[in-house]
Amino acid sequence: MPDVVLQDVAKHYGPAVAVANMSLRIGDGELVALLGPSGCGKTTTLRMIGGFVETTSGCITVGGRDVTALPPNRRNMGFVFQNYALFPHMTVAQNVAFGLEMRGVNRSDTDRKVREALVRVRLAQYADRLPRQLSGGQQQRVALARALVIEPDVLLLDEPLSNLDASLRQEMKIEIRQLQQSLGLTTIFVTHDQDEAMSTADRMVLMYNGKVEQVGPPDEVYGAPRSVFAAGFLGIPNLLPGQMLPGQQGFRLEAGPVLRLSGQAAVAGRCFLALRPEVISIHAAPPSDAENCLAGRVEIMTYHGSAVEYQLRTDIGLTLTARAVAPGLGGPALLPEGSRAWLSWPATAGVTVSEN
Amino acid sequence: MLAAPGLVFVTLGLLLPLALMLRNSLNRYDPSELMISAVTAENYLKFFGDAFYQEVLWRTVWISGLSTAICLVAGVPVAYFLARHVSALAKRMLLIVILVPLLIGNAVRTSAWMLILNDKGVLAAFLGLFGHEGPLGLMYSAQGVIIGLVSVLLPFMIITLNSVFESIDQNLEDAGQSLGAGHFTIMRRIVLPLAMPGVLAGSVLCFILSMNAYATPVLIGGPTFHMMAPTVYQQIAKVMNWPFGAALAFILMAVTLILTVGVSVVVQRRYRKWSE
Repeated sequence: MPDVVLQDVAKHYGPAVAVANMSLRIGDGELVALLGPSGCGKTTTLRMIGGFVETTSGCITVGGRDVTALPPNRRNMGFVFQNYALFPHMTVAQNVAFGLEMRGVNRSDTDRKVREALVRVRLAQYADRLPRQLSGGQQQRVALARALVIEPDVLLLDEPLSNLDASLRQEMKIEIRQLQQSLGLTTIFVTHDQDEAMSTADRMVLMYNGKVEQVGPPDEVYGAPRSVFAAGFLGIPNLLPGQMLPGQQGFRLEAGPVLRLSGQAAVAGRCFLALRPEVISIHAAPPSDAENCLAGRVEIMTYHGSAVEYQLRTDIGLTLTARAVAPGLGGPALLPEGSRAWLSWPATAGVTVSEN
Repeated sequence: MLAAPGLVFVTLGLLLPLALMLRNSLNRYDPSELMISAVTAENYLKFFGDAFYQEVLWRTVWISGLSTAICLVAGVPVAYFLARHVSALAKRMLLIVILVPLLIGNAVRTSAWMLILNDKGVLAAFLGLFGHEGPLGLMYSAQGVIIGLVSVLLPFMIITLNSVFESIDQNLEDAGQSLGAGHFTIMRRIVLPLAMPGVLAGSVLCFILSMNAYATPVLIGGPTFHMMAPTVYQQIAKVMNWPFGAALAFILMAVTLILTVGVSVVVQRRYRKWSE
């Protein structure tokens, strides 16, 4: 399986920049998620790789072969569309066979491959149905079979799970991952859902405003977001503005107090301390040995079953979110809304992120 | 209940005259007394017994079929281009341009074609610049009539096809392309099968309109080129043979109906599987 290399790829629509000079290498057999809010350029990037959108500049190579100027029908890529785009006038089997027919594969090989592909996505008994007679999840699997049966060099998926309900989404997520792993297929998929990206991808590419914000394995990006946007998009609600003290001795909040902080690289000027809700502990009385502690009042308490989320208004005016283990699972007793509480976290928790 | 005024109007305005015509077609004609009340099939027998009138019907059918086919072949690329490759603003402008022929009266537009097509006309002068000599022979010919018909029917075809092309998901074409199909194959295997309802509607529309065309065959075809609608008019208004004119009108209607319904049934049976 070949790798995919994007070199300074850009797409401009008149003066509007959809994707600005993007460079990225997707390794052989790697599953990469392009992640970002709508309008960030992720779908445009995917469609440029697929050949449906012309690049304004830059070049795209697949296994060393320059495909930038090739039309989609000569790129040998499997593309799964957000709405599946199954041919409504063809049966499931005819849909899957279409790509093989275009390649001039003979009748008996086509029949065999179609059958194998449908078995692989567990739809063998639906071969003669029409797409509209299938459920959303089944249609999705037909689209997958149709894209895979041509033995593509690269598999491209555009928001493959967004039209499915929650339980089916979980199932398909695992299924796509397993198929991709068993075939060792270089795969790029687009999503706006960070959970989907984190749980599926080997690496995620976080995009914003046509630019790559951060690239890395999910744990690395989630653990160490590099910008306020990245932290916010990955669901880190606590972003405390301030400045690092010289020699990384601590972090002076704009609201006044100095926090203890260790193990952070220096960031000059105004920056933010990003604290994930899980690293903050909540107490009903002032803790005795906390490295960092802020007092406040519980504004909102949300019970999630295994966890409880508290939103606190601290005395220094900052609003912080803490996530505690539920009382039944060894966590602290529930603190009702309006009660006084103390938040604490170790000096090693949190990361500083620059303003942009 | 809101449908009541419409129903009354259709009944009075359409079905009543039709019933009257049907009744007339069964009457007897006498050159001195004109219409004599009777119940006879002789007008229909006259049509089927006279090769001249059958030839008129046959000419009407093939001219209409050919004009419809030309509209289809010419209309598909234009309608597809408008649906896929033109910005919203440009499309609105182009559709207005396409509709212009329909804003001009039949007789006026056809007269303009006469100026263009006649042997000393605009087209002859233009071709003369390139050394063409001799008469064009387009006036008073089937070719001329077809040109005239296509020019007015094409807008109907384009507009019908355009709306059905626009309803086809562009992703289907992209999917076809990603699976290795070229533009021609995508058109043949994906777009046209899905556009079949529109192709059928546009064709039926064009066929019916040209089966009943009057001004074009009269003005461009001339006095010796006979099609059904002018013949009906001639019988009723010139010869004053109302019974035979009415019979001709009913035969024209029946043939048009049988052909369009027949073709629709065949086409729909082929595509019914997924289009219902």
